[in-house]
Amino acid sequence: MRQCIMTVFVSLWLMGCGEQTWQTKDLSGLMPPLAFNLVDENGNDVTADQYLGRSTLLFFGFTHCPDICPTTLARLDAATQRLKETDRDDIQVLFVSVDPRRDDPASLRAYTDAFGPQFIGLTGNKAALDELTRRYRVTYGYGEEDGNGNYEVSHSSAVFAFNEQGKARVLIRDSDPMDAVVADLKTLVDDG
Amino acid sequence: MLPTPLANIPRPVRIWCWTFLLILGMPSALFAADLQISDARMRLLPGDIPAAGYFTLTNTGETDNTLIGADSASFGNVTIHQSVSKNGVSSMQHVDQLTVAAGEQVEFAPGGYHLMLMKRKHPIAVGDEIEVTLLLGNGQRQNVKFRAGAPTTQ
Repeated sequence: MRQCIMTVFVSLWLMGCGEQTWQTKDLSGLMPPLAFNLVDENGNDVTADQYLGRSTLLFFGFTHCPDICPTTLARLDAATQRLKETDRDDIQVLFVSVDPRRDDPASLRAYTDAFGPQFIGLTGNKAALDELTRRYRVTYGYGEEDGNGNYEVSHSSAVFAFNEQGKARVLIRDSDPMDAVVADLKTLVDDG
Repeated sequence: MLPTPLANIPRPVRIWCWTFLLILGMPSALFAADLQISDARMRLLPGDIPAAGYFTLTNTGETDNTLIGADSASFGNVTIHQSVSKNGVSSMQHVDQLTVAAGEQVEFAPGGYHLMLMKRKHPIAVGDEIEVTLLLGNGQRQNVKFRAGAPTTQ
């Protein structure tokens, strides 16, 4: 019996000491820390440093995207709703629009506010967006305009998660089970 | 062996009963439209940002049927789209037409097929029912009421 308790104790101690185990794709050491020069949804120039101190979920999209982007944002909202309130308040979602032509700060703000206060809209000029997307090795592009002036935007569908010091931690994809996303958000908040 | 109660029923009543049962058992397609639409809902986004329409399309007929478009008095432009994810990159593709084979079902759901409803003509609130007409390849027009929901509508 004593041996059994000892084993459990040692296992717990080892777990406490070791690296976190993530259930979505582990990015630790694979991606650079959070850094950008963008414009926020109030039209102010902002840098990543201003967003440190809370866990950050970074997602690339555009507002004229009624299907994929809201689906991802709704999933993140549902996942954070399953955390306790103090943990939930420690998470911010940065929605970076790669479509600055249509997404001015006002429409970005209207869009992100519709999902909740933890959703923050950012965008930037082509140089700023290129620098950020290259940094995280994602691509974006524009389709041809149709007769009504509408065009499609292709963008990365994954969410990059950073701890409160801005260190890259995991990549959350739409195919990841909700339980795994919730577990990793909890680990991410505790990681800080 | 149990006695058959049917034998006690007069013959004309028995014939009537059998006919009635036969009618009940006939394929419902003979009476209803071939393409049935259920669970029609709309994901409403703020301002002039396009809305997404989702529903389940079931072909209860005996021949293939094709969805070729949609329109609505509440929107300036309605198109059929499909979201595609390839190597971690998402994009939307315009769908000119979508054939639903006899007896088959197609889901218009988040991350796949959806109606893209653009250029709202009047304010729409969550809970409103918005009529959309689906245009079918056989010339039929089918009116469907979509319930408007929050941006997190799945």
